[in-house]
Amino acid sequence: MNEEILIKVKNLKKSFGDNPILKGINFELKKGERVVILGPSGSGKSTFLRCINRLEEPTAGEIYYKDTLMTDHNIRKIREDVGMVFQHFNLINNLTVMENLTLAPFKLHIGKRKAVRKRAMELLKEIGLEDKADVYPASLSGGQKQRVAIIRAMMLEPEVLLFDEPTSALDPEAIEDVLALIRELAGRGMTIIVVSHEMGFAKEVASRIVFLDGGKIIEEDAPEEFFNNPKTERVKEFLEKIL
Amino acid sequence: MEGFIGKVAELFGTPEYIDSLLHGFWLTLQISYFAILLGLLLGAIIALVDTAKPSKWLAIPKFICRTYTVIIRGTPMALQLFIMFFIIFAIRDFPGIITAILAFGLNSAAYSAEVFRAGILSVDSGQTEAGLALGLSKFTIMRKIVAPQAIKNIIPSLGNEIITVLKETAIVGMVGMYDLNMAAKDIGSGQNMASYVVPMFVAALFYLATIYLITFIVRRVEKSFRKSDSRTEE
Repeated sequence: MNEEILIKVKNLKKSFGDNPILKGINFELKKGERVVILGPSGSGKSTFLRCINRLEEPTAGEIYYKDTLMTDHNIRKIREDVGMVFQHFNLINNLTVMENLTLAPFKLHIGKRKAVRKRAMELLKEIGLEDKADVYPASLSGGQKQRVAIIRAMMLEPEVLLFDEPTSALDPEAIEDVLALIRELAGRGMTIIVVSHEMGFAKEVASRIVFLDGGKIIEEDAPEEFFNNPKTERVKEFLEKIL
Repeated sequence: MEGFIGKVAELFGTPEYIDSLLHGFWLTLQISYFAILLGLLLGAIIALVDTAKPSKWLAIPKFICRTYTVIIRGTPMALQLFIMFFIIFAIRDFPGIITAILAFGLNSAAYSAEVFRAGILSVDSGQTEAGLALGLSKFTIMRKIVAPQAIKNIIPSLGNEIITVLKETAIVGMVGMYDLNMAAKDIGSGQNMASYVVPMFVAALFYLATIYLITFIVRRVEKSFRKSDSRTEE
């Protein structure tokens, strides 16, 4: 496996007002890794993920993308390489599915228009929604919306994809469809970080589990170790509750 | 009743009266049209400044916008009109129509700004975040994502504001301008028809017809903006 480090987080802290959410996080992501972030609600999982593409501005600490320190000035360029999928899909309501897919490539002048449309159509075919190209998001189901959101992020051919609880707003059947698509991307070697509550998915797909609680990384391990031989009492307690 | 019909015939049969009425109506339309344009444009700018993320070089513009809105909304329109005519533009031969357009336009801007602001805030923050996560600029996000959705949400309120301005211009008679309302009063006065009923009734019909037309256009625009809401495939 390629050992290139894509993301490095150094002593990341984030507070909302007087309320500290992240209390010093150190983290590294290598190319090809599939990291699943677990933890109780309120542990700072989503905040951590949102700091990685600067949707939240860190209060302290540094985040590097391939040795480049992220700042307000270079973040737009970095976001082309660090895609994001949201819990509530966030498809652009006033644009059709095709326009959702092509807006960023067109605006960022990535590739020729014709080629961009062709790629969008190919990705739609892969997820079986080619007949939905010209409809508005309002007419899609939740599972369809999330799959479109995933291929929208793929349109920019990112190096890393961040998933912020991608299945938490979906019904069980749709969850399976979305997880299958993420699994497929992971299978093709996509580097991903997923904040999730899907333990089965974490066990099966993750190359590494990161457990967050109280704004700190409590434990970090390969999934077999994490689920079978948890090293801390906190993780044991967590696993007992959910399994 | 016979008297009423007689008066209607008298009004429409006297070219001088018709002429006055149309002149007044034309002035009302001119003032309203340009005041609404000015109000929408300035209102949009104020709302953009007001909703922008706070930063040190926006602190003063933000303060100015807030103060402006407070002053305009906190004082009567008629007083603002007087101040414009008798203090700020108390210049000999300065065209009154320009002063009136500025007075109504600057007033409308404060109200439009609140409407635009509400519209921008009504767009889910997830829409902006999606744009950010795709590497789009703030300008592109506003133009392609937030503005279209904000405008769709506020079309009814903007229609309301347009109608309000049109009707509010009826006070320009107070500074001696000859608008539709003033024409009705003039035609009905003692030197002319010596009865206010018919001219004012006709003026009311003019206002009503114009506003009905505006309402119709606003509905059409609203409908075209709503096409992305439809759950059915086209």
